[in-house]
Amino acid sequence: MGSQTISLFRYLMLGILNLRLLALVVILVALGALFSGFITELAIINSQQIAEALLADILRYSLVVLILLVVITNVSEDFQFRQFERLLTMPVSRWQYIVAQFILVAILAGILCLPVFLVISLSASFELGVYWAIALWLEMMLVGLLGLLAILSLERIPGAVFFSLAIYLLAKLSGLISQMIAESVRLSNESVASRVTESIFNGIMYVIPRLEAFAQNDVFFESMDLFLVLFNQLIAIFPYVLFLLGACMIDFYRKEFNL
Amino acid sequence: MRRGERPVLQLPWPLLVGFVLFFGIQLFSHSHSISGFSEKYRPLAKPFDSTIYRGLSMGSEQLFSYLLAIRLQLHDNQAGRHIRYRYIDYRILINWLDEINRLNTRSEYPMMLASRVYSQTTDQQRLRLILSYIDRAFMDNPQLHWRHLAEATVIAKHRLGDLELALEMAKKLADLPESVVMPRWARDMQFLLLGELNEFESALVIIDALLKSDAVNDPDEKRFLHEKLLLFQQKLSETQHN
Repeated sequence: MGSQTISLFRYLMLGILNLRLLALVVILVALGALFSGFITELAIINSQQIAEALLADILRYSLVVLILLVVITNVSEDFQFRQFERLLTMPVSRWQYIVAQFILVAILAGILCLPVFLVISLSASFELGVYWAIALWLEMMLVGLLGLLAILSLERIPGAVFFSLAIYLLAKLSGLISQMIAESVRLSNESVASRVTESIFNGIMYVIPRLEAFAQNDVFFESMDLFLVLFNQLIAIFPYVLFLLGACMIDFYRKEFNL
Repeated sequence: MRRGERPVLQLPWPLLVGFVLFFGIQLFSHSHSISGFSEKYRPLAKPFDSTIYRGLSMGSEQLFSYLLAIRLQLHDNQAGRHIRYRYIDYRILINWLDEINRLNTRSEYPMMLASRVYSQTTDQQRLRLILSYIDRAFMDNPQLHWRHLAEATVIAKHRLGDLELALEMAKKLADLPESVVMPRWARDMQFLLLGELNEFESALVIIDALLKSDAVNDPDEKRFLHEKLLLFQQKLSETQHN
């Protein structure tokens, strides 16, 4: 069982890793470094810290989008070329495909985090490089699995990308949205409609990752216990990853394939 | 496999002419908007509340506060020209500085912009506004902002010529508890300004109290205070004789 899953993972991985992906990562890192260098020229004080934090955030968002697109495109091709039908005629279970995809997301996120570790270690410090690479790896795992769930459910690239990015942004902007809803409740004299909206949003927040699940950029400006910050992120991410894997399994097992 | 393409010249001529025409209109409209833009000064827009910026920062609050401060700093450079500070509405500017400060209370960037950049205005009213902002924001974090209040004291004395205001700010520095770590010269500004105001008796009381307390341990600092004590005593007696 284990060797079959690993073989499946290797097969999937071979379809993803190529020189174009490597070139794209190099270009993203170079553009991030150039832009943050430009900001360094503008800042009057704390220019080094601002540049490091900006570079870290540019790499975070570009790599999150990259892993999302790679995972979604990969699974979409499996749908398009009827790979599932072929796989299911072999002695491979559906859960093995999900586990192989999970390993793929983990390894791919790790590979993409390597240049981030090098760049942040060189520009900031080794400790910050290690922290940001691990924290970003966890964040990319989360987004990659979200993308996997989206493409397995929706089977179309645009819908899956839109859905995944919407959930990611909703999680990131949850503070602002809840503040706006609270303000709307206040301005409407606590009308029923606004109260219902608030309840719906509060309900949605239960299935959205918390802000602690993402890499904390403030570490570039103040000294923090990096281990504790990482531990908190792990605590926030762990149940959510299990929840996503469970949702992927249920969705994939529900699908009918014409064998 | 790459799809074959027809040569451009084989396309229908109305299509080509239409494309060239629309491209020309786009170039003209862009160049027109640039020339119109360069003539006008875009005033500073009012800032949002800091809680909105906190939500928009997506967890990177400190970075976002620095980027907002840099964006504010770049406002006086428009279309490749430096805009004079007298065109800037300092009340809106101070709103911006306040919101950035609220977003990141551990940053001294807004105070630094106030004391080193926006204090360069030649307009006395605007200068007073920015000095009052420094005076007010200083109390949020005296340890972080003491040097900006010291700078504001010097600006109030030399640029504004308002010794009373300078003395008021210097007194705030002198009255800070010893737990706020800062050089002695910052605390000494108060009696130096009292000397300038010919308030020698008050200055002498402060110097005497300083010398008798354990606050001054450095021999050079003690010598400096003794010199000032003698100078002020001499000036006081001259004043009384006159």
